[in-house]
Amino acid sequence: MGTQHSDSGDYSFGEILGLREEIREIQASIADYETGKKLNIAIIAGTLAGKTTLLGEIERINQNRATGITFSEIVRDRKEISIPDDTKRVVLFDNCHYLYMRKPGGFDIFYEFLYMISSQEKLFIATWNLYSWRYLSEAFGIERYFPVQIFIPAFEKENLRLFILKRYGKAEIRFENDEEPKKEPFIYIEKYPLELSSLGRKIFVPVLKINLSYLRHRFLHEEETQTAEEMVFEKIYLESKGNPGIAWRIWELGLDYPGIKHEDIGQFSFDIDLEYEEAFVLSLILSYQALKKTEIAELIGSEFRADEILFRLLTGELIFKDEGASYRIRPEALQSVIAYMEKLRLVW
Amino acid sequence: MVNGDSGSQQLLETLRSIDTQTVVTMFLILAAAYVLGRVITALISKLSEKMSRKDRIKVKMIIPAVKFGIYVLAFYYILREIFNIFGPELLLLTGLLGAAIGFGVKDLFADIIGGLVITFEKPYQIGDKISIGAYYGEVTDIGLRATKLVTPDDNTVTAPNSLIFNETVASGNYGASEMMVVIDLYIASESNVETAMRILREAVVSSKYVYISGSTPVTLLHKALPFYTRLRAKAYVNDLRDEFKFESDVHTRAWIEFLKNGIRAPQLHILNLPPVRENHESDAPTRRNLRSSKGTRKDSDFNIDFSKDSGL
Repeated sequence: MGTQHSDSGDYSFGEILGLREEIREIQASIADYETGKKLNIAIIAGTLAGKTTLLGEIERINQNRATGITFSEIVRDRKEISIPDDTKRVVLFDNCHYLYMRKPGGFDIFYEFLYMISSQEKLFIATWNLYSWRYLSEAFGIERYFPVQIFIPAFEKENLRLFILKRYGKAEIRFENDEEPKKEPFIYIEKYPLELSSLGRKIFVPVLKINLSYLRHRFLHEEETQTAEEMVFEKIYLESKGNPGIAWRIWELGLDYPGIKHEDIGQFSFDIDLEYEEAFVLSLILSYQALKKTEIAELIGSEFRADEILFRLLTGELIFKDEGASYRIRPEALQSVIAYMEKLRLVW
Repeated sequence: MVNGDSGSQQLLETLRSIDTQTVVTMFLILAAAYVLGRVITALISKLSEKMSRKDRIKVKMIIPAVKFGIYVLAFYYILREIFNIFGPELLLLTGLLGAAIGFGVKDLFADIIGGLVITFEKPYQIGDKISIGAYYGEVTDIGLRATKLVTPDDNTVTAPNSLIFNETVASGNYGASEMMVVIDLYIASESNVETAMRILREAVVSSKYVYISGSTPVTLLHKALPFYTRLRAKAYVNDLRDEFKFESDVHTRAWIEFLKNGIRAPQLHILNLPPVRENHESDAPTRRNLRSSKGTRKDSDFNIDFSKDSGL
């Protein structure tokens, strides 16, 4: 067995997230607010990158002075953004990318929200999808309303390991081949996943890898080994590029409970070829994270086309329908979709 | 010095000494250069179409330079053959060639020089949308002699490269994949301009074809004219090939929202013509009756539809 979850209990939640610096910065802004300096905070990250988890952690730390409001679909009623009188001094808004509709006449709630956060005395902390944020930044200069911007970085490999293993009990997961540690060769070829936005897809580049640590240990007459657990998380880390949501999905797909082998960890590359309107709908789903069919139809102005496009995206295994009847991008396809969207410049 | 008579004699003798093999070799060099140029152009074009929008034009930019490189190499080998054959008699041949250029192929020569200027000075590149002479379109090829562009109506225009010396060339994007599109909407003077501007802005920034960045901002302009108000949006289309789709998309969605907000198109009564009646739901039965009572003449249908459209 490897080193699984034996030490996860020693870490605070913030450390497991690997977001200690970000939490410290937000807490510093909250402290400044208490002394009279109000700077609204935007927490910005891509899909499944951990912004809701970070906001939850901020709410937990500041439970005496913070009120949390979560949007789970496009906001159409002004009342949803109105703040009751008993709201605490710090207001946390999750999923603010649901505050606008990308169509003429679809920005009224968004304008009102901006007016509210700039005119009220309370401190506002809001989470935004990275691509919605960039769009709103270029189109409306939203960054002026949020002087403190926290971009959630990719997770470190160790944090990903802790993030995944903290969901299981001690020694619950069996990393196969762990009993017989695999000796690393001196030189080996590794398929390195690379997103090429110029080509709009993810490719796997065979990289000749020299095992320097093995060499070092060999000269020191020690046997260098890499455990099965390390190999599993190395592969998950490379594939997910440090995105915890993608990492979890890849883990789930490779797990044959309670065992997992590093050979079963999938590498995903989707060769996407869509019509422009289909790609636009995909970019909307990427920017909003989840959209219902009626919302998509409203955004593109045609229910018939929405049906047709969603069918195509579903059969291409780029999206799936969740239990709330919203369409989301498949986590394992996320990196390929982003590369394709960047190729078409449908996300900025 | 070469004496006139003896020089002609020498030249004739030299010309007689050219064997078929040499002529075939020269012809093959030219043919190979042509085929190689076409193949490389096709390959680069295919590759560039698979690239991102930003990189497509950058990759296509190298096509003219590669083609000229191939032709320069081909002419080098041909000239080497000519030097081998003629030696000092080349001077005479040059004189003859000069006369030929002066009288017969001067335009061709000017086109080739124009092609060189276009390749190296780059007033436009393959993939650019340009206006040259009376034509506007996307440059699809820059050859030795002429530039090909495809107009919005899908006509292929072949413009001689020498036009570059006499005509002004305007490039809409100049090597970038995005391009500014100016969209004008005309509304009635009494309409609420503030609302109309907000709607136009939202129609532009929400279009699937728009590209907005620090260097490609959206600009809105308002001009009150005597009988109507002009709203102008200057915005960048993501891919210059979608120029007209972008314009149409903004027009359509802006007008749908204008009508919801009571913003109307300029009315004809400014010219002392009766105003066009608004198309209310309650009018529909009357119109249907009108149509049936007047028979099935196509022109009456047209009149009804026309009045509906002009309401926009």
